[in-house]
Amino acid sequence: MTLEVKLRKAFSTKPGKFVLEAEFRAPGGVSVIFGPSGAGKTTILECVAGLLVPDSGRIALGGDSDTDALEATEVKNEILFDSARKIDLTPQQRRIGYVFQHLALFPHMTAAENIEFGIAGNGTRREMLVRDVMERFSVTHVAGHRPAEISGGERQRVALARALVTRPRILLLDEPFSALDDALKLDIIADLKQWLCRFDIPVLFVTHDRSEAAALGERVLLLREGRIVNEEATSGGWENARRLPGVSPAR
Amino acid sequence: MNWQAFTLTAELATLTSLILLVLGVPVALWVAFSRQRWKFLLEALVAMPLVLPPTVLGFYLLVAFGSGTVLGRWYQRVAGSTLAFTFRGLVVASVVYSLPFAVQPMAAAFRGVDQKLIDAARTLGVTKRTIYRRIVVPLAWPGMITGMVLSFAHTVGEFGVVLMVGGNIPGATRTLSIDIYDQVQGLNYASANQTALVLLIFSYFLLCLLYGLNRRALLWGSR
Repeated sequence: MTLEVKLRKAFSTKPGKFVLEAEFRAPGGVSVIFGPSGAGKTTILECVAGLLVPDSGRIALGGDSDTDALEATEVKNEILFDSARKIDLTPQQRRIGYVFQHLALFPHMTAAENIEFGIAGNGTRREMLVRDVMERFSVTHVAGHRPAEISGGERQRVALARALVTRPRILLLDEPFSALDDALKLDIIADLKQWLCRFDIPVLFVTHDRSEAAALGERVLLLREGRIVNEEATSGGWENARRLPGVSPAR
Repeated sequence: MNWQAFTLTAELATLTSLILLVLGVPVALWVAFSRQRWKFLLEALVAMPLVLPPTVLGFYLLVAFGSGTVLGRWYQRVAGSTLAFTFRGLVVASVVYSLPFAVQPMAAAFRGVDQKLIDAARTLGVTKRTIYRRIVVPLAWPGMITGMVLSFAHTVGEFGVVLMVGGNIPGATRTLSIDIYDQVQGLNYASANQTALVLLIFSYFLLCLLYGLNRRALLWGSR
């Protein structure tokens, strides 16, 4: 499964106009979107999720292909957005898992209710899915607690479980670990990696933190001022990442 | 104290606020989330009773209830009588008159629900209806209670519309505010004072309840 993104989105900002123009392919596995604040990282995720409509472009999900030409894989692709063909699937139709920066857990629901919120229907299948994902992310013990009653790490795990329980075709992570200490972060990343071994889906992982990205990322997309300036496998990508302003040093 | 007027007023205010809960929630959801260009036209219509003199509203409702309109004729055919100068007519008039007092706090509360929560629900594949039912409405409960309490209090205190649409029929349309007016007209100030004092204390109690609930909701929200 490969996510193919080509989009343009312009914003009016105080200093002038900000234009995001990004084109990249993200095959199964974790692609890190790395860059300083205001580079347009979250905007890319929101466009892929369908929460923001690009001015123009094309976002498609398809089978793996050796060719770089987006058009060549069109037959196998499911188009999520195509400005030329006026296709714009709603977020509900896209089957995407999204973990927001501040998690966006529903505060009036328990952890279990948060997790089962997106699963259609009732019955044993639903229960099995919830139990399975809660065990994998070690949150069974907080099932009956509301987000305000559990720790930051547990909230993170619940948010991941909620995003993954619906078996999404793409996973979007918007700096979800930024508020955690390193040990906890690596622990959660290990659980996530295990899950991704079972489901080979494209993951777009936005972060400022090199240690996080190194622990999870397989390739890096360097984003600066709305443009992808480099696209490489993790080790090579870091050499360029270091030179970007606003990028945090390794911890 | 005229207990008949007291009971009638309580019945009228309770019915009105319950009807406004049922009617007001969908209207407020639409006002809060619709992106229609012409939305402002309906918003202005809902808010009209805030600025319109009650006698003007009452006059048009009286005309609408009469046999000269489609609505009036339809009701007479179905119910066998007119809505004017009846308790049912008062309920309809109170619902229209108090609509903005219910819809505006509800719409404000719905708009105040964190957009990220709505976005998260959308990415989880659920329908708009489910998002409203399970996320927006439960998180906006303080606004809904505010809307109900305000419409209840507003109905208790309404005068002009009641007089125009209901007249002053004991046991049918004579509410507490009309009763006070009657007492003053008859120079019976002691009795008017007694009823007015009850309404004064009642209004203060309701507002205390409202502010207390909002304070609790703020504390709950910040946990």
